[in-house]
Amino acid sequence: MELSNILSGTCVYDFVRGPLVWISFIIFILGTIFQVFRLLSLTRVEETVKLKSGPGSFLPKRSEKEKTDWGLRARLSIFGVNPFLIVVTTLFHVLLVIMPIFVLGHNILLDNAFGISLFAFPEKTADVLTQIVIICAMIFLYRRLFVDRVKAITDWKDYLFLLLAAAPFITGYFAFHQTFSEHYRLIITLHILSGELMLMAIPFTKFIHMFYLVIIRLTVKSEYSLGQGDRVW
Amino acid sequence: MFRKKNTAGVDSDAIREILDEKKTKMKLSLKACAHCTLCAESCFLFMGRDKDPKYMPSYKFINSIGVLYKNKGNVDKLDLGEIRDIVWERCVLCTRCYCPMGIDIPEMIALARRVCRSQGVYPRYDQE
Ligand code: SF4
Ligand code: SF4
Repeated sequence: MELSNILSGTCVYDFVRGPLVWISFIIFILGTIFQVFRLLSLTRVEETVKLKSGPGSFLPKRSEKEKTDWGLRARLSIFGVNPFLIVVTTLFHVLLVIMPIFVLGHNILLDNAFGISLFAFPEKTADVLTQIVIICAMIFLYRRLFVDRVKAITDWKDYLFLLLAAAPFITGYFAFHQTFSEHYRLIITLHILSGELMLMAIPFTKFIHMFYLVIIRLTVKSEYSLGQGDRVW
Repeated sequence: MFRKKNTAGVDSDAIREILDEKKTKMKLSLKACAHCTLCAESCFLFMGRDKDPKYMPSYKFINSIGVLYKNKGNVDKLDLGEIRDIVWERCVLCTRCYCPMGIDIPEMIALARRVCRSQGVYPRYDQE
């Protein structure tokens, strides 16, 4: 039997949209709790000894302008160094997180299962946002394939996880537009399956950079910390 | 990469002992690196060497401490020599590298230096 036949078979279809949904959510939630605690356990709170600056202090102070002028702050940040990539990556990551929650189809499922539903994007908006995610993923792929500095540190896992992150959107796009309508069930199965695989992979693979970024930059004291972290490694 | 290693003169157990001390943090950091190259411009050596990818902070830790963890310390003098060139000649540990994830890049390079030093592999400015 061909793989596509197996995947769209009733048995697999029912498993993927039934038990595997629960399994993937449980793995995701437990894995997340475990990794968050692990990251926190690697760091500890340390009292800061506030040093007074001596005469003729040479520690550069942030000028008033630097504190309030957001345009200047942006130029001095990583945005000023790599504006294009920062826009692409921000769009990609924000949409990656919010799209699955606010797509109409998902909300209907939520409604059927629990009788609750959240705000949902109008279908046209969701369609455009999906296309933006796919374009961002293609930009990443282009960088991995053709930009020397990215190529230099790319391994097969980077392609795999890029595909895994983009797959729910690509299959979602096909499903919405009924692109391969004769294989609709296969597309839907792949859509759900890739979403579930992604969810399960988040706490245990390179997707972990999601938690790493939030926890380490918010809680660890460093030159580049975000906010008033008081922990040290 | 797949050449046969000649581990004579290298104490792999001693290397593993050093690696184990910081294993969780280092392995998590290596995993959390998104291979995005956003750290590149923050390294003055990268900027000063015509943006040669070999001077990127991430390239440097992946090919030094990353290689050591990947091989679980089973490296030979040739590997250590390559790591030495990376962690001394291509990094001065100025600690100015910026990673959006908050990865502590200098510590990774410093640990790779420690491993090299434990095996007597380090730059001999007096002899070279
Ligand atoms: S070290 Fe940070 S900035 Fe550099 S490639 Fe890895 S994740 Fe990106
Ligand atoms: S510590 Fe090394 S890698 Fe980081 S900026 Fe300085 S020279 Fe570059």
